Amino acid sequence: MPVAGVDIGSLTAKAVVLQGREVLSTSLTQTGHNSRVAGRRALDMALDRMGLDEGSLGFIVATGYGRTAADFAGERITEITCHARGANRTHPEARTVIDLGGQDSKAIAIDERGKVLDFVMNDKCSAGTGRFLEVMASALEVELDDLGSLSLESTSPASISSVCTVFAESEVVSRVAEGAPKVDIIAGIHQAIASRIYAMAARIPTNEALIITGGVARNIGVVRALEQKFDTRIVVPEMPQHMGALGAAIIAGEHHE
Amino acid sequence: MASALETLMELRDDPYSRARAWKERTGGSVVGFFCCYAPEELLHAAGALPVRVTGENRTVSKAGAHLQSYCCSLARTALDMALTGDLDFLDGTVFVHTCDTMQRLSDIWRLNAGYPFHVDFALPVRFEGKLAAEYTRAELGLVRSKLAHALGQFDDDAIRESIRVYNRNRALLTELYDLRRADPGIMPCDQAVWVVASAALMDKAEHNEILEEILSDLRGASGRSDRIRLFGVGSVMDQWEFLGMLEDLGGTFADDDFCTGHRYFEGDVSEEGDPLDALTGRLMERGQCACKHTPDRERSARIVQRARACGARGAIFFQFKFCEPHGFDYPAIKKALDEAGFATLELEMEQGSVSIEQLRTRVEALLETIRG
Repeated sequence: MPVAGVDIGSLTAKAVVLQGREVLSTSLTQTGHNSRVAGRRALDMALDRMGLDEGSLGFIVATGYGRTAADFAGERITEITCHARGANRTHPEARTVIDLGGQDSKAIAIDERGKVLDFVMNDKCSAGTGRFLEVMASALEVELDDLGSLSLESTSPASISSVCTVFAESEVVSRVAEGAPKVDIIAGIHQAIASRIYAMAARIPTNEALIITGGVARNIGVVRALEQKFDTRIVVPEMPQHMGALGAAIIAGEHHE
Repeated sequence: MASALETLMELRDDPYSRARAWKERTGGSVVGFFCCYAPEELLHAAGALPVRVTGENRTVSKAGAHLQSYCCSLARTALDMALTGDLDFLDGTVFVHTCDTMQRLSDIWRLNAGYPFHVDFALPVRFEGKLAAEYTRAELGLVRSKLAHALGQFDDDAIRESIRVYNRNRALLTELYDLRRADPGIMPCDQAVWVVASAALMDKAEHNEILEEILSDLRGASGRSDRIRLFGVGSVMDQWEFLGMLEDLGGTFADDDFCTGHRYFEGDVSEEGDPLDALTGRLMERGQCACKHTPDRERSARIVQRARACGARGAIFFQFKFCEPHGFDYPAIKKALDEAGFATLELEMEQGSVSIEQLRTRVEALLETIRG
């Protein structure tokens, strides 16, 4: 019997329907103002794709910051545990998960079974998050999805000292006024994020087997800057945004058994 | 009629109401202090009511003009309470030489808060050796004479009597913690920590009576035992909503090293001999806080030992934002707890801006990690 994991994040809600180890269907939708409705919508979208209905599911686990609102779920598990389990399923060699989400960032140390050993989380400041990048993209008048590839064209990244969204925005505006090329400014932003994430991750035991999850993982510029900072290759899974939902679905499967 | 515990819990909503009522009733002096190293027995012997000020959850309005934003919220909100008149029942304040912020707050307080008297109690940084003991004894003598000048003379017998009242309080609080270590389900941790904190907010003899009643209900009681036992590390713990959430999520502090918790009452004062020697003895021997140094008695080893003794499976650190002493102690204590197999979580917070929902995810993740 299929099971589902629903990850209701601050910006997007994701669902994964799983049968055994096979991913049957996934979905992604904006969270908007109502976590419960968004989670429900994500679940329905994933089910529709397979022509399934909720009755055909063995168990549902909700995760993400909106998990408490998910009254349709049998259990609620934190995204820290779920990202760890999801990352462990697709990349069993991973021992450190860097999750860069819409409004918070986390570093999670895990063992060979995907069990969380230690974690650190930053949700007081938006540095390194999707929201931060949205603000920067808008300040520079580029598409969010283009930030990554544009930054790779930079030969001399601009210096962005602040990682506070508000101050960084005014710093970016100053760099623009100075005539710095956009690509260099974007590369500078990515380096500032990488420094911040690196400093946060240093509070827990990390090792070289790094995997990055969350929406920001889709930005290749941030990934490259992090690789430089951590001095190691970082694995980007096929569906980084769905790792939390995948982990939730894996736990749902265990419940169903 | 409200039970003894209910009476105490009501005080949580208005912590200084008993001090105000005491002052009105007795006409005596109420003296504020900040730190659990304060010589409460001397204040008590002088006939005053010592009351602990630990700041509160509030947005600072007047203190911002005197303290930088990188001072901890304890100092900032406490000063704000003084400057806005919320501590107008105080007749004086005793400051203890601990962290940099507290030392400087003492000066700012003396110049701006406007209470009739102000005493600084200087303590050695390294609490070991004969020299430190002699220094501490001399300082206690100095504080005694300053208090006598401000509040009236009091003799050794008065101090001995105060020591007996305070020892009784410490013994009762120790029993409460012993009972909870054996079965934390008998009382939620937010109540247990408050029972200790309230000891510094009212007449000690009255608190002893209330404690006797609470303990007579708890002796032989049994509670839910399925909660995950944790050990709390930090300074002031006054985040009741957080502690309530911890209980709701299935965890509890079975013991702690908070300065408004276990550190407040640990260690007895000898009731024999010279009372100032006796007070010096406790200050030297008790478990020290992050502001003090005891090279031969590592704080981290003591915390690991106590975490084991209460059956904890994890520990939560409460770091006040900008608190340097506890920040410096954290890595060594975390390392020792990690090596001993405890799951740990560090939470940074400041009074006035605690976001329970953001803390919830971290605590839930810690409990998930422990449950496996």
